[in-house]
Amino acid sequence: MRRKWTTVSALACCLTVLCGLVAACGGAEGVSGGVALRFSWWGNEGRAKATEKAIAAFRRTHPGITVQTSFSSYEPYKQKLATQAAGGDAPDVMQLDYRQISQYAGSGILLDLAKRPELRRDQMDPALLRTGQLGGVQYAVPMARGTQAIAYDSTLWAKAGAAEPAATWTWDDWAAAWRKVAAATGKAGSTDPGYSEDWFEVWLRGKGKALYDGGGIAFTDEDLAEFWQWCTTLRREGAVSSARQTTQMDGALDNTPMGRGNAVSDPSWDAASSGYKSLVGDSVRIAPMPVGPDGKPGQYFKPAMLIGVSARSPHPAEAAMLIDFLLNDPGAGEVLGVSRGIPVNDGVRAKVDPGLKGFDRRIADLQKGLEGRLAPPPPAPPKGDNTLQSTFQRDYDQVSFERMSPLEAARDYLTEAAAELKQ
Amino acid sequence: MTTRRQGAAWVFLSPWVLGAVVLTLLPMLISLYLSFTDYDLFDAPNWVGIRNYAQMFTEDPRFWRSVGNTALYVVIAVPLQLAAALVVALALNSVKRGKGFYRSAFYAPSLLGASMSIALVWRAMFNDGGTVDSVLSSVGLDLGGWVNQPGWALLTVALLTVWQFGAPMVIFLAGLQQIPRELYEAAAVDGASRWRQLLSITLPMLSPVLFFNLVLQTIQAFQVFTPAFAISGGKGGPADSTLVYTLYLYDRAFTASHMGYASAMAWVLLVAIGLVTALLFRSSRSWVFYADKGA
Repeated sequence: MRRKWTTVSALACCLTVLCGLVAACGGAEGVSGGVALRFSWWGNEGRAKATEKAIAAFRRTHPGITVQTSFSSYEPYKQKLATQAAGGDAPDVMQLDYRQISQYAGSGILLDLAKRPELRRDQMDPALLRTGQLGGVQYAVPMARGTQAIAYDSTLWAKAGAAEPAATWTWDDWAAAWRKVAAATGKAGSTDPGYSEDWFEVWLRGKGKALYDGGGIAFTDEDLAEFWQWCTTLRREGAVSSARQTTQMDGALDNTPMGRGNAVSDPSWDAASSGYKSLVGDSVRIAPMPVGPDGKPGQYFKPAMLIGVSARSPHPAEAAMLIDFLLNDPGAGEVLGVSRGIPVNDGVRAKVDPGLKGFDRRIADLQKGLEGRLAPPPPAPPKGDNTLQSTFQRDYDQVSFERMSPLEAARDYLTEAAAELKQ
Repeated sequence: MTTRRQGAAWVFLSPWVLGAVVLTLLPMLISLYLSFTDYDLFDAPNWVGIRNYAQMFTEDPRFWRSVGNTALYVVIAVPLQLAAALVVALALNSVKRGKGFYRSAFYAPSLLGASMSIALVWRAMFNDGGTVDSVLSSVGLDLGGWVNQPGWALLTVALLTVWQFGAPMVIFLAGLQQIPRELYEAAAVDGASRWRQLLSITLPMLSPVLFFNLVLQTIQAFQVFTPAFAISGGKGGPADSTLVYTLYLYDRAFTASHMGYASAMAWVLLVAIGLVTALLFRSSRSWVFYADKGA
């Protein structure tokens, strides 16, 4: 009798534990009678407020569809999304970076959006739309348009007697201005641009070259060594930030030499530069990136971010409707403003433009000034490039702390890049 | 009777057994399998044999850099931490009043230290213009921020560990109180100095406890992650100087999505820690003294 009781209780215990496990793995079910979409993205509080407002408007016009949002800053977002995707649990709608596209598209995680008539693409710039394509399939669409820009403190700049930056300035014109500013202010003229693949890309494109070509690296160790040697000369003169300052760059503006008050300018992204207002003051201005030796601009219009739909989403039509609303609806455009960059829809852009003030106005003007002058954006970087950005910064650390020569570090970088891109 | 008792034992053990199997054993076996694949989180894993292991040992300079950094870290942090714990324990052992208060006060950092927030405070303290930089500059030693210089950054990580000497200290204190008073009384009668007593009575009698602490702290030090992650902002910089083993493992797994490679690294670490521990046990024969065995 007692024996029996023990067996029964043992079974009961096991069952209880199992039930707990099953319940925990079950996950959220859709709201009964309606469709529930999950939408994840990265950004800050300001973007969150605008996004929530736009989604509230979407729900008013689309009763029966609920949207659960989740957001965080970029690095944790990237890791969480990768883990979710690996578990077959990617959100229905997800914000993606240019550098993630190849990885996600190649692994069958994203849906072909060209097959979703709910999402209209006729008012979007074809060159920009292509940044979300791979092998002719539209895996994602751009959410906003951004471009590289140099942010600078115009008050200190003028005090140092340097001329107002012009769109025709070459890298050497900028270097001359940085020297002048450094000599007059005692601060570095700029962040050392050698730490980032992004600025190297602008430098390369100015010379008619490119980072990638059909999946492989398209530049030589000598190209990279030349760029790093140029940076090294400026760094040794004190015209750009020291190794100790540059190594702290981690994507946050308050950790840049300019944000810390040690430099007067910083190569950056147009929309992101607005964050300098609170760190430096209203004297922050943005200028186009330096052009190549023969006046060729290296910068390009880039999708500030893209948005895609999970291939496993049970509600692809509703997911496409949400994206269509966020990108093409004039009302949503007004609510979202330039919280993600300049809108990609031509109609929405024209509608939002007159209302832009302050720094938003400067971003719009910078982009207007560049329209028609820039070469089309490169195709999405190959799978593996995601890691190479940090490799680039790390290898430049070896150069700036004078532990390797520019050529040694450049060879190191190319070796690692070849290994990453092969995998 | 015995079978019934065994049945009851299994019932009570079942939550633990389930947990151990589902949450520890199974994931470990899966990671062992993945270590022989090219799993990248996105695509199904392909069997690649020992390629991950071969690549690690023959063509990955960063792997060796991380091994070097970890070894350096263990060699700096463990002895310093144990020395600090022992010195404070000896001092506390002779304190007559307020022992409880001091013990808690010295233990407190160990409760706080493992947290992310303290590591971030540590980073701020040793940064350019941080407390340490300001104080040293004011006495004419302008070294700049330690965390931004390849030669100094790992030291700040080690110092954070040393500061958390609470756990070994408490164990040392317990060990000190186990030493029979008669030994000291006899030594005092024979005219042995305090120093002599320390070397000839305290340290030998304490050696099993010292050994225990050494093994425990060494194992922990090999797995250091949080302070290195926080102090370097997750990158192991500047110039890879704080890239310790687990941080590189994390980088491979979650930044580069090379899960297979990261799994292989985890198994290499497990084997390495096992080997070092075995070496410590072997060496203990020649320096650890067990009073009860000798008698």
